[in-house]
Amino acid sequence: MFFRILKKDLKRKKTMNMILLLFIILAAMFLSSSVDNLIAVNGAIDHFIEISRTPDFFSIALTDGKTDKIAEFLEGNKAVSEYEVINTFNLINEDITITACREEPGRTRYERTNILCIEAVPGNFMKVFRMDDGSLSLESGEIAFPKVEADRNHLHEGDKVSIRVGDVEREFVIAAIVKDAVFGSTMMGFKRLLISGEDFAEFARQEGLVHTMMYNVDYADREKFQEQWKEQNFVVLSSIETDSTIRMCYIMDMLIAVILIVVSVCLILLAFLVLRFTIVFTLQEDYREIGIMKALGIKDRAIKGLYLIKYLAISVVGAVIGFGLGFPFGRVILDRAIVNIVVDGAKQNFAVNLICAAAVVFVVLLFCCFSADRLKKISVMEAIRSGSRGERYRAKGHLKLRRRPLMKPYFYLAVNDILSSLKRFGILFVTFCLGTMMILLPQSAASTLKGDGIIASFSLSPSDVYLDTGKGETYTVDMERMLRDMEEIEQRLKENGITAETGVDMGYMLSCYTDDPKDSVTYYVLQAMGSWDRHYTLLSGREPELSNEVMITELTAEELEVGIGDTIHFATAESAEEFIITGTYQSMMNMGQGYRVSKSAVLDPAYASGMLCMQVEVADMESEEACAKLKELFPEYRIMNAEGFLDNMIGGIVRQIDTLTAFIVGIVLVINSLITILMMKTIMTKERGDIALLKSIGFCDRSLMAWQIARILLVLTAAILTGTILSNVLAPYIIGPIFAMMGATSIELVTRTPASCILYPLLLSAATGASAFLCAGGVKTVDLKEVNTME
Amino acid sequence: MESLRVKDLCKTYIVNKRQNNVLKNISMEIKEGEMTAVMGPSGSGKSTLLYTVSGMDDITAGKVDFFGRDIGSLNAKQMSELRLDEMGFIFQQMYMLKNLSIYDNIILPAYQSGRGKGRERRKEINDRARELMHKLGISEIAEHDMNEVSGGQLQRACICRSLINNPKMIFADEPTGALNQQNSREVMKELNRINREGTTVMLVTHDMKVAAKSDRVLYIEDGTIKGEYVLGKYTGEDAMREREKKISNWLMEMGF
Repeated sequence: MFFRILKKDLKRKKTMNMILLLFIILAAMFLSSSVDNLIAVNGAIDHFIEISRTPDFFSIALTDGKTDKIAEFLEGNKAVSEYEVINTFNLINEDITITACREEPGRTRYERTNILCIEAVPGNFMKVFRMDDGSLSLESGEIAFPKVEADRNHLHEGDKVSIRVGDVEREFVIAAIVKDAVFGSTMMGFKRLLISGEDFAEFARQEGLVHTMMYNVDYADREKFQEQWKEQNFVVLSSIETDSTIRMCYIMDMLIAVILIVVSVCLILLAFLVLRFTIVFTLQEDYREIGIMKALGIKDRAIKGLYLIKYLAISVVGAVIGFGLGFPFGRVILDRAIVNIVVDGAKQNFAVNLICAAAVVFVVLLFCCFSADRLKKISVMEAIRSGSRGERYRAKGHLKLRRRPLMKPYFYLAVNDILSSLKRFGILFVTFCLGTMMILLPQSAASTLKGDGIIASFSLSPSDVYLDTGKGETYTVDMERMLRDMEEIEQRLKENGITAETGVDMGYMLSCYTDDPKDSVTYYVLQAMGSWDRHYTLLSGREPELSNEVMITELTAEELEVGIGDTIHFATAESAEEFIITGTYQSMMNMGQGYRVSKSAVLDPAYASGMLCMQVEVADMESEEACAKLKELFPEYRIMNAEGFLDNMIGGIVRQIDTLTAFIVGIVLVINSLITILMMKTIMTKERGDIALLKSIGFCDRSLMAWQIARILLVLTAAILTGTILSNVLAPYIIGPIFAMMGATSIELVTRTPASCILYPLLLSAATGASAFLCAGGVKTVDLKEVNTME
Repeated sequence: MESLRVKDLCKTYIVNKRQNNVLKNISMEIKEGEMTAVMGPSGSGKSTLLYTVSGMDDITAGKVDFFGRDIGSLNAKQMSELRLDEMGFIFQQMYMLKNLSIYDNIILPAYQSGRGKGRERRKEINDRARELMHKLGISEIAEHDMNEVSGGQLQRACICRSLINNPKMIFADEPTGALNQQNSREVMKELNRINREGTTVMLVTHDMKVAAKSDRVLYIEDGTIKGEYVLGKYTGEDAMREREKKISNWLMEMGF
């Protein structure tokens, strides 16, 4: 009888067993590959940092190429174990011309990232590697591009570019696309082009150029070095402790692996639901056999073992297949993640995959044991009576047909069935609800990043036009030129009948402290410049108006332990100015750290270190129209609307999240379809008698199909609504902390978008409805005579 | 006029790759308002005959006219409409949807027929359901669940359901087969009453007492009709003993 039941079960419940198997395969595949990937990517980053000789500390400063106070400070410093100064030159768009591009033959204009510089192939620190992980060496006339820059401009090896530094212009052949540990990630806004030492020397020979010096430092004593560094108050563009910053920059590369882990955990949970459903269904079907076995004196444990063998077999087969598939699948994900990383340390780990697959089997079996425990509760008589204990059942009907005159009978039956079997349809509900949330939460993150409100989170005031002159670095050392250019733009617009105001938010790298200069922190201090009188979004207090007033981000306020009304000091090498805090704000710039002073505040222009872009506010004109007009008048500049500006700033991240959302949508659609098929097939097996009865009283196939489909769609609708509400409620707790990590501590998440309200519900309904429709076709196979199979 | 006219009806099943002729060239007629019982040994094809002539099962060959309409020529939708509006079915087991109350089970076909629209029509349906339940003596179980009532009550509820759309003909497959004597009597009393009111009834039975209450008895054996016995209209319990005796003798002659 043991094997008869097992054989019958495997034969009769083919669909159910197949779907269970599929869930276990997917769970094992996702879990093993994602955990392995997470470990591999982490290992690869460690390895990359090590072999590229990433320094402990890194800083950039502008010099005239003659005097270098920082190099003097580093020389002979006992807190420094090793250091290197690398000479580079900043490049603006006009400095680079594409002279041969095979992918886009007519392309000459170069689109760069925020900051781009050119340097000789590094020797000691911050080495770069070819895409095949080989080391890089370049001949004269050759140039290497980081992957992000090459992709952005559709450049490949063999293409040519012409580069001008000062008065010297040279043409280079792209000899390599490279991986750069420190600057390679998409989140790093600084990129470097590499040429041979000989070619670089030719550029560097010129007099009167502004040099961008990079200082790579390995600590001998971190604390002491940091203390001395702060004391010096050097004028720098940026300084970071590289290890933690680089890891943070590669977080997006690990995000896919993390989300896959979440998806696999959800899949395991869903596999549990499917398991519970199949176990309960199997036990109900086999009541009589179980009763007979019990009556014959076979122990519960032996009967339970019979069912566990089946699930053990399914779990092991599923885990083995999932384990096998995990390698190629994991490789695809890993290859995407390590595109910017040297792969040597990113090998897939057989043991990790195996442990994860085994964990899936173990957890599934544990749950089976727990679920199959209900066997103990079945008495012999109850089992022989097919589950009936002999007492009357309580009434199940919840809806009265005559009180629902507007409901079509098939719809009434569907609603009544759901209300009568809440537990059974609960599985569907939970699955659909989880699926909806899995889609809407990342979608909400992407929508928030694409939303209009995000501009304010970059410490900017929204404007009609965002303009990149490509001279940002020039402006930081020559603000007069910037103001002249702004005036010129306004004047030209005026001549063309357009009244406009321009503005720039200039960033200064200043160290700041409350009482003791030794406890200073160095972040960007922003100051609005230009004719445009704009306002910024605050979290509390008011904007700074006087020359000694400042507003401060919440994260910096927390770090300095200050609040509105408190005083802070901005220090330069010569002096320290006192500022009163008037308000707090949030910013996704510089991981949420920073300050903003009023227009009237006087800051040392030597400490100016960068700006995002120039903004133009046009009177009596919509943004699109204004952009079109400015493009016409200033073809040499890059003109963007808010959307274009955001795409330039965080497009990479948004696209990554969009890809992830699309991936999750695919997974959820498959899960929904599988669960729908599973539920409908099993329920229909039990309902063949009911269907035959309804046919005998005159229900046509179409009504019966509508009844079957309506149940699924009703549950789906309820689940989508609940999932949407839960996503909206939970988003601040799930996505909020991610934004808070980036500095947006009180961001208003965008949860209602056409995609979340229309597209995804429609997609889910279409896929689930299609599966339901296909399964509902099964009613046609029910013969009227099967009415005699009713219990 | 004939309610049902069957000509050269054949039904074949393929079992284990072997052809099994269950009905062999059966021809018969049932007049409108007639109550016809079909008897025969187990496996003779009684139920198959009932299911094929009522359109519940496909026919292999032959022709079945239901009130002048060839049911073989109807598509699935037309057949559903026919079953809904003009036919009523009663089964041996009292099949009902478990999630619905007795009352909702009864009125479901009426709502499905599309005639449940409009306040007037809904009132009409509910009045008819109440009237039927009252006539069959089950008014008190209207809101009960099917597991809360006796087999007899349930079978009477099934009869109510089969009558809710005023069908022209009732097909009953051993309607008393699962009932005790008392309940059987009550159910047959109702079927006779329905028949007297003009509804044609075709029933399959093993029970001579049930057959004795019919106007005509067909005896089927090995897939063919071996004979028929016309009893005439059932007038009441007084003539039952004599009708049963006649049937008994005839069945003995037929070798039952």
